[in-house]
Amino acid sequence: MQTAELLCTRCPRGCLLRVKAVESSVAVEGNECPVGEKHAAEEVLNPRRIVSTTVRILGARLPRLPVRTSEPVLKSRARDIVAALKNMVVEAPVKGGQVILKNVADTGVDIIAERDMERV
Amino acid sequence: MIDVAVVGGGPSGLAAAVRLAEKGFDVAIIEVMGELGGMLEQCIHDGFGTKFFGETLSGPEFAERFVKKAYSLGIQVFLNTYVKEVKAGGGLKEIVAVSSSGVQRLETRVIVYAIGCRERNGFEIRLGGTRPAGVYTAGMVQRLINLYGVLPGRRILIMGGGDVGMIVARHLHLEGVESILIVFPEAGFAGLPRNVQQCVLDFGIPFRPRTVVKKIIGKERVEGVVLTRVDEKWNPIEGTEEFYACDTVILALGLVPYTCELKLGVRIDPATRGPEVNEFFETSVEGVFAVGNLVQVFDYVDDAVETACIAARGVEKYLNGELKTSPVRLVPSGKVRMIVPQRVEWVDEEDVVAFLRPAVEKSNARIEVRNSEGRVLGGFFRRYVRPSTLERIEVSRSLFSGQREVTVDIADS
Repeated sequence: MQTAELLCTRCPRGCLLRVKAVESSVAVEGNECPVGEKHAAEEVLNPRRIVSTTVRILGARLPRLPVRTSEPVLKSRARDIVAALKNMVVEAPVKGGQVILKNVADTGVDIIAERDMERV
Repeated sequence: MIDVAVVGGGPSGLAAAVRLAEKGFDVAIIEVMGELGGMLEQCIHDGFGTKFFGETLSGPEFAERFVKKAYSLGIQVFLNTYVKEVKAGGGLKEIVAVSSSGVQRLETRVIVYAIGCRERNGFEIRLGGTRPAGVYTAGMVQRLINLYGVLPGRRILIMGGGDVGMIVARHLHLEGVESILIVFPEAGFAGLPRNVQQCVLDFGIPFRPRTVVKKIIGKERVEGVVLTRVDEKWNPIEGTEEFYACDTVILALGLVPYTCELKLGVRIDPATRGPEVNEFFETSVEGVFAVGNLVQVFDYVDDAVETACIAARGVEKYLNGELKTSPVRLVPSGKVRMIVPQRVEWVDEEDVVAFLRPAVEKSNARIEVRNSEGRVLGGFFRRYVRPSTLERIEVSRSLFSGQREVTVDIADS
């Protein structure tokens, strides 16, 4: 059994949800509305986030290029992903949306550039 | 001479400029930094655009949509250019701007100010102790990390439980600092629940409510701080002082409209600390508009951009010489801390969009618009309101007819 406490992020109220999960069945307490129950289930069974960081870029106006995962990844992998990009260097020019690294840290998700960066 | 000069090339200024150029007006943007996009360039996390574009974008992605539009519409852009002086007597306005190419004078029929907000600083809360290296504002840290790849230190103390502090805490954690502690005088975080969960709780970043920094200690570099617990009125509790070792102090003390840079005698609302505006975001000076975080600090860039879009319609009305009637004042009362716009005065058909910040936390609340005798003219149900979340209402224009002043309050539903 897995238990967790989390804040519901679906409305300004921000209910404190206490969740118990046994495999795929989830019991939720503390939610003031049904949205909280659905939210808790998603957050416990499959909590995903977009992870953003920067990589070094050469030949651009700025020394860093902002990048992110192309899709949400399991939130527990966030730090591995940032670590995997630590020593990465790219060269300008780069286009927003361009894939910078495929399958980062074996998550099956790519890293993409968040913006254009021209060569100067 | 041009039709509209937009001062500030962040999201709100860009949105106003793009909307006006699309209507066929001759528009210029004056931006003090080296590129367009404003604060969004350093906000590399996602969550922008959910209301405006219906998808979740990073800051640079959100900005880029407007930047590309601005250039493709042929909007004149002055970068690295600072507005030194403005004259606004009568119909024509004159802007004196300074850049590396010298002093330029620009004649314009309308000015749209979109110069955003600034961070509150240590002097404003009378922060005690020495002034060593290692004290930063949160926005500066975000800029150092995300634009320049520089970490400000290894052992971090963050003062303030608002959104910016939480977001910076996440950046610092992911980029691998040794320790982080967030302290704030309130009982809970002052920011959006979404940020509490996704920036702080997700990563188990430690925080202490009802705690403030009494003083900073350090000669050359920050060596630590003296923390003290406070009561509900934020008064220090004696005997709770404690030394906390750190090499960096980050001030995340909240944002204030950047009105000191307004070079005109526009009236300022003490509640929002931004210029007073009418329903099309025109200030107390005719033909001078103010949009985005300059008017009041918004929770979402989407809302700031909406004010720019509304203002663009107002600029069009002004340039077409459309009519105003006698103003109806909107006054926050009791359970509402502030409201924008502060007055409604144009002749128009469409509903008035108003933004208000609740002063209370409450479930099953009703935002009420009342006349001067206290009679309820209109109401808006909300499942839950709290001060950290700005409320947006659309008020039918017919509610204002025949009134001189309406109050906006929050009642039990």
